Amino acid sequence: MIHHLIRAAILTGFAMFIVYLDRTGEMGMFIAPRMELYVKLSALGLYAAAIYQIYAALQKRIGHTAPSCDCEHEPSPSVMKSILIYGLFIFPLLLGFLVPTGTLGSALASKKGVNFSTAVKLEQTAPQSPHPDLKPDSKTDGSIDSLFPFDEYTEAHAAYGKQLYKKTLIPVPEHLFIETLTTLDLYRNAFIGKEVEISGFVYREDDMGKEQLVVSRFVMNCCSADAMPYGLMINWPKAMNFANDEWVSVKGILSTAAYQDHDIISLDVTKIERIHAPDSPYVYPDLDFGL
Amino acid sequence: MQKFLYRYVTPLLGVGCLIMLALIVTQRDLPDRLLNSANLQTFKIIFISVILEAFPFILLGVLFSALLQVFVTDELIRKFTPKNPIAGVLFGALLGIIFPLCECGMIPVVRRLIRKGMPAYIGIVYLLAGPIVNPIVYTSTFTAFRGTPEMAYSRMGLAFVISVVVGFLLYKFMRKSPLKATPALHVIHHNHNHKHSHSHSHDHDHSKNGSGFRGKGASILSHSSDEFFEMGKYLIFGAFLTAIIQTVVDRSTLTAFAEQPFFAYLFMMAFAFILSICSTSDAFIASSFNGVFDFGPLLAFLVFGAMIDFKNLLMLLSTFRVKFVIILTLLVAVLTLVGAWVTEVLI
Repeated sequence: MIHHLIRAAILTGFAMFIVYLDRTGEMGMFIAPRMELYVKLSALGLYAAAIYQIYAALQKRIGHTAPSCDCEHEPSPSVMKSILIYGLFIFPLLLGFLVPTGTLGSALASKKGVNFSTAVKLEQTAPQSPHPDLKPDSKTDGSIDSLFPFDEYTEAHAAYGKQLYKKTLIPVPEHLFIETLTTLDLYRNAFIGKEVEISGFVYREDDMGKEQLVVSRFVMNCCSADAMPYGLMINWPKAMNFANDEWVSVKGILSTAAYQDHDIISLDVTKIERIHAPDSPYVYPDLDFGL
Repeated sequence: MQKFLYRYVTPLLGVGCLIMLALIVTQRDLPDRLLNSANLQTFKIIFISVILEAFPFILLGVLFSALLQVFVTDELIRKFTPKNPIAGVLFGALLGIIFPLCECGMIPVVRRLIRKGMPAYIGIVYLLAGPIVNPIVYTSTFTAFRGTPEMAYSRMGLAFVISVVVGFLLYKFMRKSPLKATPALHVIHHNHNHKHSHSHSHDHDHSKNGSGFRGKGASILSHSSDEFFEMGKYLIFGAFLTAIIQTVVDRSTLTAFAEQPFFAYLFMMAFAFILSICSTSDAFIASSFNGVFDFGPLLAFLVFGAMIDFKNLLMLLSTFRVKFVIILTLLVAVLTLVGAWVTEVLI
């Protein structure tokens, strides 16, 4: 009977924890929006199981044997083993309720390694931009097409690139974070010299110079275990003034920089300012991009 | 008490030593790395997110397993499972198209199927192929690798081939049941058979005899919640270790291996094993390595990680005999390595 009650408490605990995360809005720290519904539904399942455990406990109390088979999953008779197992379940609950939730930051980014070039593979399949020497200002609509060559796989990026190309200031929006960075990287020849605006947290690799930092965001697909940092290199003489994990918004001119034997796109800063951390530290890939 | 000490403290010390070794190899200081608050945050977020993400799938798996237990008779499963081994293996490999489950939900279902009389080799084929050869995973892989649609095709193809090969090997060489021994099994089966014939004669659950429906409902909940605890402890332990590894181990120390082609395969497979992410989302991780790694290692990541990973290995150990799990893991690893390499050469 005691087993049933402990199990009921643990199941209720997990269900409450999911509700708690939803109410406080912390759910977004752990799970991508498209997964949230399933997690909430599983809270219902946990509740149902908890209610059953209480019912089973009462049945035992009255003297009925539970209608189940109680076959292979009879709880272990050893007390120590039970404590160990239930402790394992209680541990994440304690951690979840008692330790305040922060955000992922540069500590994890340095473990996972920031992705600078999102488009290396795409670039190899796309033909080289034929007019790297033409000045951007002298473009008419006809020659825009020649700046954005594409094959069947980069068609969406080319179309998006043409839209961006017409803007004087190219924003890197949250909902198209990777897509925009990929397009800038893929058609860098067209975009070099353009002004770009991006925001994110500050991150540094050990081997970067004093005048460099990375403005980066975690891209999450399903849950934060699969979050990967993506970023844009920033060149600025006073880069040291910004500490890791500070949130900044940066405007700058797109150029390239050599880093770890690769030419990556980077920004020469015209304006940089501290901002408040956004509601959700993550960005999500747009699964409908180009569809 | 003494028995307890021998049984748990020795392995715990072993794990501690392994962690120490890992720290020495990666040249980290213990207090600084493990106890600073940024790492604690990272650990907490990853640990809990892995658990939360797996909850819906595990619940679905145990619910599905309980429904099978209560509503599907052993005879029905025997009738539907092909007798011919070739047809049986193909049946297992394609079952995921009809019943798509990811690897966390898969284990209780497969165990139930085997206990209910499905030949073990077919169950294992479903266990391996199911998390990959299904429409959901195909779509997510296709979306993640829009630039290289061959990836989605090769992932499906390779997973199918590997599971079929493993299925035939098991059919040929496996003699004992791979499940852990369960002494109480006979009694239960008898019990349930009895129950079923009873409810059949009364046409359906919600007949005049109310206890039939109540009994079945309670039975489903009982099976689900018991099985949830059984699987849950391995899930949580797996999530715990996964979070520690992700917090402590530096990717750059590992990517140093990526230079040699052979190590690139091993690295990506080891990485998939450590990450233990669900097969529905791992394609997006793999696509972030597009460019760092070639096609072959990425394919190895996608195929091996969905079949065997850390979290899933612990759950396998809860159900299958240790020796069987080790052999299965090695077999899948070797086949993935060879298969991914051959695919890379062919494409």
